[in-house]
Amino acid sequence: MKKLDDLVDFKTGRQKRVIYSDPAIYEEELEKIFGRCWLFLTHESQIKEPGDFIRTFMGEDEVLVVRQKDDSIKAFLNTCTHRGNRLCKADHGNSRKFVCNYHGWSFGFDGKLNGVPLEKEAYNDQLDKSKFGLIEVAQIASYKGLVFATFDETAPSLEDYLGEMKWYLDIWLDAMPEGTELIGTAMKVELPVNWKLPVENVSGDGYHLGWAHAGAMTVSSSMEVGGLAVGNATADNSGAVSVAGMNGHAVLAALDGQSGYGFYPDPKMAVDYLEENRATVIDRLGEYRGKRMWGSQINMTVFPNLQMLPGLNWFRVYHPKGPGKFEMWTWAMVDKEMSDDLKQMILNNVSRTFGPAGLFDNDDGDNLQAITEQSRGWRTRQMDIYTNMAIGGEHSRDEMPGVVSEGLICEQNQRYVYRRWLEMMQADSWADVPSYNNLQEARATEAK
Amino acid sequence: MSAQQAEMDVYVALQRQLYQEARLLSAEQYDDWLAMLCDEVHYEMEMPQRRLREDKTNNWAPIKTPIFNDDMAALLMRIARFKTGFVWSENPINAIRHIVSNVEVFNTEIKDQFLVHSIIEVHRSRLDAERKRLTAGRQDLWNKTATGYKLLKRTAVLDDSVVLDSNINFFF
Repeated sequence: MKKLDDLVDFKTGRQKRVIYSDPAIYEEELEKIFGRCWLFLTHESQIKEPGDFIRTFMGEDEVLVVRQKDDSIKAFLNTCTHRGNRLCKADHGNSRKFVCNYHGWSFGFDGKLNGVPLEKEAYNDQLDKSKFGLIEVAQIASYKGLVFATFDETAPSLEDYLGEMKWYLDIWLDAMPEGTELIGTAMKVELPVNWKLPVENVSGDGYHLGWAHAGAMTVSSSMEVGGLAVGNATADNSGAVSVAGMNGHAVLAALDGQSGYGFYPDPKMAVDYLEENRATVIDRLGEYRGKRMWGSQINMTVFPNLQMLPGLNWFRVYHPKGPGKFEMWTWAMVDKEMSDDLKQMILNNVSRTFGPAGLFDNDDGDNLQAITEQSRGWRTRQMDIYTNMAIGGEHSRDEMPGVVSEGLICEQNQRYVYRRWLEMMQADSWADVPSYNNLQEARATEAK
Repeated sequence: MSAQQAEMDVYVALQRQLYQEARLLSAEQYDDWLAMLCDEVHYEMEMPQRRLREDKTNNWAPIKTPIFNDDMAALLMRIARFKTGFVWSENPINAIRHIVSNVEVFNTEIKDQFLVHSIIEVHRSRLDAERKRLTAGRQDLWNKTATGYKLLKRTAVLDDSVVLDSNINFFF
């Protein structure tokens, strides 16, 4: 799609609004982004026993993710291989088999077709059941508890796909010896919004916090977070960073070691936990990450649709449902070592800030919906919008990977997310997609 | 144990109470609403899940996932947010109606405490043609006090496993 060239301009931070509304562009995204990228499926903690399953989405394709007898994990398209009916309607559960409601074909939780009603009488025993097992994803792999899959067998390994983002992910996933778990179930909300808008928002938009969330910040802030002020009256960008250029993944991070719990009305229990365990974390992650980053307010984005905020402790995936709609699934993620009381406090706070009735989340929906709708008109869809803040401030720092700009209020990350979007959309195959697994690779393209 | 229906005077009084509460919530008269709550109120709503009937395992949600899990302090925080004047999504004012029906009132083992079942339907008309409708079942405990009936506990059960509104800037 050559015409895509004009839709996103990395150097000036410009996007054409049509990318939020055009059905043809959306169809292209299903193929070239959701059909190719590694997509988050589940956390291993959600499917512990053989037969435990979760029903989720890869783009608009429904998949069942199932724990196997040998402890491995498989992911199947949630559709009968006979006439295409949906196999399982439950959100999650434990099942020895999946039986189609239409004609009764029965599949084991290993995906094999085991039973076909009237196999002898109607199929004359001529059906080769081994050819009609459930269809698996092309690749499935885990990174420190997070299970991902891709429909593209030529996609790079998950490790290479995550690249330098692993250094940041480890600040949460590998800080404590026992790792993390998702608690409770997903809080699901359907929003009339293009899926890219929440991704760009969480990837880099610290700017909107002080204004869009002024009401929530006023009532829930218990400490300063990354120099942000209610009403955008002032800002101190010196104690935080925006980091991008890592295969489309991005990080916003305060560097104070505790502000992740700044939007808890009473964060004492969490702050005590941080200080009790900080020596352990420094031992595992080193001085810089252990002191400056573990416990800080951090936004992490794994391209294209996974985002997590250690501290606020939410974990979120977006499932597209057409150019103007998506489902947002939010969990609370915690360290396994945390006390039950602390876990419950965190779950309550995730719900109260970013759940369906969340003090913060309830501010974002209308803005992102309006941008989607303001990209639909004949005139507006031709117009540009911008993420052009702090262009030229990109630099690098010895202590951390990626391209760095100062502050949470900066639009560097959105520019790099859209750059990745364009690269994926223009590539004919993974062979055409640039890899940014070190700083030289990431910054080389800036001069282009 | 079959629950015992409350006396008619209690039934009428609590039905009146629920209607009045619905009107106050629709009118955003939150201070008046707070006066209807016990200080130790617990206001909860759990995220619904779709599970197979035969699935009795508890592996899935040993911890319930709340949409609301609020004590008085948390409710006050939500209301304080509305009052900051910074909640842009509620400006202009959205039309909202709380419709209460299927009210049933039962005695409990505690004197002057009543179990109340009801259904709440929340209609919101927002920008232009945008209209949202959410339904939930409610199970309440109301205490009869010297200053009238006060809500001690509300457990609301939302019907949707995917919430079909972009915010819940209101109460059920």
